[in-house]
Amino acid sequence: MVTSSKIEEIKRQRQKEIRAKKNQRKYFYIAAFISLIIFGYFINNNKLYAFTWIIGIAIGIIMQRSRFCFAASFRDPIMVGTTSLFRAVLLGLMISTIGFGIYQYMFFSNVENYSIMDIPGQIYPVGIHTIIGAIMFGIGMVIAGGCATGTLIRIGEGYLMQFIVLIGFIIGATLGGKSFEFWDKLFISTSKIIYLPEYIGLIPTIIAQLIVLGIIYYLAILYDKKNNIMSGL
Amino acid sequence: MKDVKSKKPWPYWVGGILLGIINIIILFVTGKPWKITTAFLYIGAGFIELLGVDVKDWYYFNVYNNQLSLGKTFFNNELIVIIVAIIIGSFLSVLYHSEFKFKKIKSKRQFLAALIGGILMGYGTRLSFGCNIGAYFSAIPSFSVHGWVFGIFMFVGAWIGCKILFKYLL
Amino acid sequence: MAIYELDCMYEACPIPLLKVLKKLNDMKVGDILIIKTDHSCSIVNVVEWVEKQGHYIDYLETGEGEWEIYIEKAK
Repeated sequence: MVTSSKIEEIKRQRQKEIRAKKNQRKYFYIAAFISLIIFGYFINNNKLYAFTWIIGIAIGIIMQRSRFCFAASFRDPIMVGTTSLFRAVLLGLMISTIGFGIYQYMFFSNVENYSIMDIPGQIYPVGIHTIIGAIMFGIGMVIAGGCATGTLIRIGEGYLMQFIVLIGFIIGATLGGKSFEFWDKLFISTSKIIYLPEYIGLIPTIIAQLIVLGIIYYLAILYDKKNNIMSGL
Repeated sequence: MKDVKSKKPWPYWVGGILLGIINIIILFVTGKPWKITTAFLYIGAGFIELLGVDVKDWYYFNVYNNQLSLGKTFFNNELIVIIVAIIIGSFLSVLYHSEFKFKKIKSKRQFLAALIGGILMGYGTRLSFGCNIGAYFSAIPSFSVHGWVFGIFMFVGAWIGCKILFKYLL
Repeated sequence: MAIYELDCMYEACPIPLLKVLKKLNDMKVGDILIIKTDHSCSIVNVVEWVEKQGHYIDYLETGEGEWEIYIEKAK
């Protein structure tokens, strides 16, 4: 952080004026204790839930502490020309690529007969429905100030607005589920699943994807340096 | 009371790497990839089911392996657990650093933006088989092209969203 | 040297950053901008962007989940 003498002077003055923060640690201990009790309950009743509980809490902490925001990772390059979040997401994608690749490799080594729906991972048909869904999601996340995980994080931070976003999410998802037959008949059922390893093999796919993500990462650094500011102002 | 200074936030790249690792852990431990927004559908479906409608009969739940796992209900499943846990995790994190603050809704415009944004996102996820996690963060590492297409067109959507933001919400 | 204040309390992402952008545009070199915000992302994304533009910036925590960001326009 590059500060200046004027700023330091203001800071010094303000420091005297602002009251000490109220310590919320005691509430933390109560909440942590309750979370632990819930964890204990799960351990005895449903180990999957126990794992999910811990992992979810970890995700919440990590995303909150690092101010991680997928919505901003897409919005900021467009709006203010910064790609730091976008690059952080790319890092996550690159690491996941390796891990998912290993897991799928293990799957193929152990299984004889399988259909494409059996392969572990999110593998679904791609088509116009994907495009429409993505555009709707992109618009929604920018005007709502966050995506799915961002909304959950912000509810935890005390934002009442994100609670409304959640209500919207529930309404939208339910409407979408109810109208799914329309979309399936129109686009989805006639769209292909394009699973890359089917065309070039698993190992080449892993390598190629890492290279592509790496190139995008490098381009994102260049773009950030170029400093593209939206002309809307 | 002692002065409670917050520690600085973690750098973005730390979050990115850790989330990537968690993405892998979820796949290895549960055999299923990380996803989020299906939980929101479940909540809606669960409420409608309470009204007496046979939601499991919906077309959606009878295709693409979308049915609830054995023994699970719309309110009792691992996706509901994970979204509650994420909220709790964030809550614990802010409480620990004494950063929790109730932030009310500032204006009618903000309320509408939140509601409409949420509905758009929710609806969109059913078409693309997921959100920023299920159709992007887990889909691309699964080597399915739909993840890439989703990512690219999320940019398009974000661009349109920015235009709307500047025009109506700034 | 003018001192401007921006109240960004209860604003959602990315409004604080956008307001800062706009205000900085209208300021003269040496002017100070003080932003009150309760948005946790602001202390990262505003700081990052302002530093990138070459201005001076620092912040203070002024309450539970509340910050004041100080910017001096440098060029």
